[in-house]
Amino acid sequence: MIAPENYLVLSGLLLLIGAYGVLTRRNAIVVLMSIEIMLTAANINLVAFAGVHHALSGQVFALFVIALAGAEVAIGLAIMLALYQRRGTIQLDALKLLRW
Amino acid sequence: MLGHNLQEYAWLIPLIPLLGAGLVAAFGRHSPARGGWIALGAVGLGMVMALLVAYETFDSAQPFEQERTWFEGEGFAFEMGIYLDNLAALMLIVVSFVSFLVVVYSLGYMAAEGDRRVRYFAEICLFVGVMLGLVIASSFLQLFIFWELVGLCSYLLIGFWYEKPSAASAAKKAFLVTRVGDVFLLLGLVILYNSFGSLNFSTLFAQLEDPAVVEAHAQALTRATFCIFLGAVGKSAQFPLHVWLPDAMEGPTTVSALIHAATMVKAGVYLIARAYPLLVHCPETLLYIAVTGGFTAFIAAAMAMVMNDIKRVLAYSTISQLGYMFLALGAGGWAYWHAAEAGDIASADGYTAGLFHLMNHAFFKALLFLGAGSVIHAAHTQDMREMGGLRKAMPVTSTVMGLAVLSIAGFPPFSGFWSKDLVLESVFENGEHYWLFRLLWILAMITAAMTAFYMARLWYMAFSGPENEQAHESPRSMTTPLIVLAVLAAGSGAIALILPNPNSFTLLINYTQETSLDPQKVIEHIFFSYTTYISILAAVLGLGLGWWFYARPETPGGAPRGDLSFIGDSPTLTWLHAFLGQRLHMAALFDWTGLRMWDTVAWFCDRFDHYVIDGSVNGLAALAERSGQRLRRVQSGFTGHYASLSLGGLAVLVLLVRYLIPLTGWSP
Repeated sequence: MIAPENYLVLSGLLLLIGAYGVLTRRNAIVVLMSIEIMLTAANINLVAFAGVHHALSGQVFALFVIALAGAEVAIGLAIMLALYQRRGTIQLDALKLLRW
Repeated sequence: MLGHNLQEYAWLIPLIPLLGAGLVAAFGRHSPARGGWIALGAVGLGMVMALLVAYETFDSAQPFEQERTWFEGEGFAFEMGIYLDNLAALMLIVVSFVSFLVVVYSLGYMAAEGDRRVRYFAEICLFVGVMLGLVIASSFLQLFIFWELVGLCSYLLIGFWYEKPSAASAAKKAFLVTRVGDVFLLLGLVILYNSFGSLNFSTLFAQLEDPAVVEAHAQALTRATFCIFLGAVGKSAQFPLHVWLPDAMEGPTTVSALIHAATMVKAGVYLIARAYPLLVHCPETLLYIAVTGGFTAFIAAAMAMVMNDIKRVLAYSTISQLGYMFLALGAGGWAYWHAAEAGDIASADGYTAGLFHLMNHAFFKALLFLGAGSVIHAAHTQDMREMGGLRKAMPVTSTVMGLAVLSIAGFPPFSGFWSKDLVLESVFENGEHYWLFRLLWILAMITAAMTAFYMARLWYMAFSGPENEQAHESPRSMTTPLIVLAVLAAGSGAIALILPNPNSFTLLINYTQETSLDPQKVIEHIFFSYTTYISILAAVLGLGLGWWFYARPETPGGAPRGDLSFIGDSPTLTWLHAFLGQRLHMAALFDWTGLRMWDTVAWFCDRFDHYVIDGSVNGLAALAERSGQRLRRVQSGFTGHYASLSLGGLAVLVLLVRYLIPLTGWSP
């Protein structure tokens, strides 16, 4: 049995890595990937605590999150495709039309 | 009679005309004369009832009282009821009788008004009902309610031709000016209630019989009676609140006759007579009443001499005659107080004189107004300069008007002579004790001569001169009430005095049972007193001057009507004429004051609105705009900014929930 703290450390690290990616990267696809990493961090927590508490609901949640993440990626990639066709770039710092 | 319990049904007297008002309003449109006959029936029934009740009241020695609790609270109760004494009975007779005749006259006079007669007759019925209610009210509070209601009816009827701007503004003026008095009346009633704990006539009067109570509340009593008199000043158009009555002539002439000559404006006189048990303890108020009355009588008569509108002459004449009544009531009360102070047998001849004049005036002034209405009907103008030569064309009207003129001028033996003489007598008697009354007597005597002058002027301007061919006599429904009123105007004075004991006027209407009021002695006194002959002289002088200036053969009717050449040369007289013609500049003064006051208030309101209201609203808007300008910089458009802001927000939330809130010791 692995102690729950280890899961927490792992998921915390993953979350920070994801957040770092979201904040620093300019490429929209990389940002999307970073968000996936952050979701994974949450999933690890859910599954880990499902094991700790001997309850299946956490695992069910994780499955839902994975499904949602898939849907999100599909939509996100579609948006980026459309953006690229229109603007010729998916560099986030170039996409700043919606501002004051 | 119908047994001695008719008084028990006295509450029906105001109710029948009120019901009539409702019927006219509901069914008038589809009934003959647009409700005129319903109104006639209701007012007629009310009159019969009122006359019977008045007769019974004169017959019984004690005032009749009937009361129901209206509403009560902890420690107080207000009653509604009926209080019938001789004063109320006199008012019942005068009001109901004149009302009935005016309604008869209206059938002819208003015939051309079409469907608007529904409104007219409904409002007249309403007025008759509330006016009758006013005179039989059993408490000051109830009287006040009816007092306001007659004011409302006056407003409605002055504004009968409301599409005419002058009528609409006259109605408003009448309502607002009398309201000034009404506020004081209410104030007086509050003072009375606070001091005596009741507004019921009988309770109040019984309390005042105890000298200790009077002593204890002397100051409150003076203040209360003063306020009550100011209420009467408003309603009875005394100086300085007289300005509304001449303008009130914008209403139909019948309304002027009924409301603004015979009944409603007498409510003030009635109120003072009703409050006599209070007043006789307040010599200051009584002096004020007498002086106001005397002064008003004088200036109003002076203004009546220069007016050219026939109805305005009569309006100023009404103000003047009401002044006589107040003068008499004030003098009578003062005499009573003075005699009581000195320990003599107290009597108040002025009370009898004032109310005697009230009755006679109701008849001859209603006659004058209705006669003027008949003249206006025929001549199609109210300007006396455009009238003239109607004597042959209108034999009935000119004759009855002549009788009324002689009566109001105080020419014996017509009714005005008797009552005016009693009024002057009561003032003259007080002169022995206080010089002010001597002055008032002289003023009243001059007023008597002026009265005779302006009435003669009115008659000659309207009826003498080259014959007017087009004019016709008015229809029967109009001349019949005129003839009835003419009989009364000529005879009511003498007849009321010579009625056998105990039905003589002076014995029925007096404040104390006093032997000096024995009718025989009164008449003897009138004939043997030299003041009587002075007043007859004044009347003859006035009538003669009227004839001299307006009808003497040297200036036959061909000369310009109302030729003013006799004042042409003297600058003083010209100025005086203009001053009186401009109504002492009081209307202008009121307008100026009102505008000035209004402008100032409006200026303040404008500044307040501009700086405080607009300022705060605009300031808030500017604040929102400026902070919006700053805050919108947050929307940079960079995805990274949004991401870091939401992460930062999360961090702040975590900090807050995990660390800061537990530090304060608060737990959800």
